[in-house]
Amino acid sequence: MSSDRDRRQRFEAIAEEVFEPLQRYLRRRATRADAEDALADVMLIVWRRIDDAPSDRVLAWCYGIARRALANQRRSQHRHLRLVQRMESQPRPTAAPDPADSGPDPELAEALASLSDDDQEVLRLWAWEQLEPRDIAPVLGVSINAATLRLGRARARLAESLSRQNPWRAGHEAG
Amino acid sequence: MTDEMRERLARLDPMHSGVPTEPATPESSRELLEQIMSTPTTERAEQPAPARRTWTVAVAAVAALVLAVAGGIALTGGDDTPPVADAPPLELDAGEEDLMAMCIVFSPEELGRAEIAFEGTVTAVDGPTVTLTVDTWFRGGDATEVVLNAPQGMEALIGGIPFTAGNQYLISAVDGNVNYCGFSGPSTPELRQAFEQAFAQG
Repeated sequence: MSSDRDRRQRFEAIAEEVFEPLQRYLRRRATRADAEDALADVMLIVWRRIDDAPSDRVLAWCYGIARRALANQRRSQHRHLRLVQRMESQPRPTAAPDPADSGPDPELAEALASLSDDDQEVLRLWAWEQLEPRDIAPVLGVSINAATLRLGRARARLAESLSRQNPWRAGHEAG
Repeated sequence: MTDEMRERLARLDPMHSGVPTEPATPESSRELLEQIMSTPTTERAEQPAPARRTWTVAVAAVAALVLAVAGGIALTGGDDTPPVADAPPLELDAGEEDLMAMCIVFSPEELGRAEIAFEGTVTAVDGPTVTLTVDTWFRGGDATEVVLNAPQGMEALIGGIPFTAGNQYLISAVDGNVNYCGFSGPSTPELRQAFEQAFAQG
């Protein structure tokens, strides 16, 4: 079993590698305050599971922890809010700034926002975290095959949503 | 085509590389990391595979619980008697560790695996310690008071559940650890119904 000193060294090295990407990951999906809380949660779990940390692709492993930390946070903090909103059939609030408000590509932002949470997440992991299916898989807790399929389907649905929005541009991204 | 769409999506990234983040080195981050490293990891050291709960903590907590329950039965001699007034408070670990690492989808069946389940009212929140008076036991005890202990210095991590004195909560625990991930939380009709369903047999 590794000594405390080994564990500290390993943790420091992992922290160095993942601290900033994790902040980006969290702040893409949560308010700044929630992201800060979640970052502390994630780093604590990384420390406690340091003996389980994979020797490579540790960032994807940490994203997986972060994903569950955010889910946990949302479940406990926004339970009432989400219930009320579900009852009122309103769209789920996105903690991160709504990209459809403005920004460089409102059409794509709107198309993205129209997809299911699962589709959006796999696309964000792909385009924002710049992960390939082999790294998306551990984040979502699915096989590489499943991650590949999910990404493919999400991309198809995004293209479909875009062409629905802009029928005159249909075909631009299709296929 | 793949790259075009990926690049287009990447341009929507609110946290693109131009947005600054906190590096791991400044004092504020160091403080967090040092604080984290001051907490023990040893519970997990013997468990290479992700285990659902921390057994070392569990053994102590369950032992305490068994004493509490045994004491209660010995004193009252039956199942349907009211709780013993002076039963020692049940202490539960309110750290997060495995719980967030192993969050599973909520279902009454899964909830029903908890050995401890009760509804209680918070009487005190004192740093890492939350004290509740038990209003209803669904399973696992007869203590009138339950104390949730967060790891020292990790007060903010009590499950992300905003414990407030006077409010009622439904708490479930497995192996002496409070079960989060929606398995514990402020009392709502929905969660209470799930508890009633999960612990219908006792």
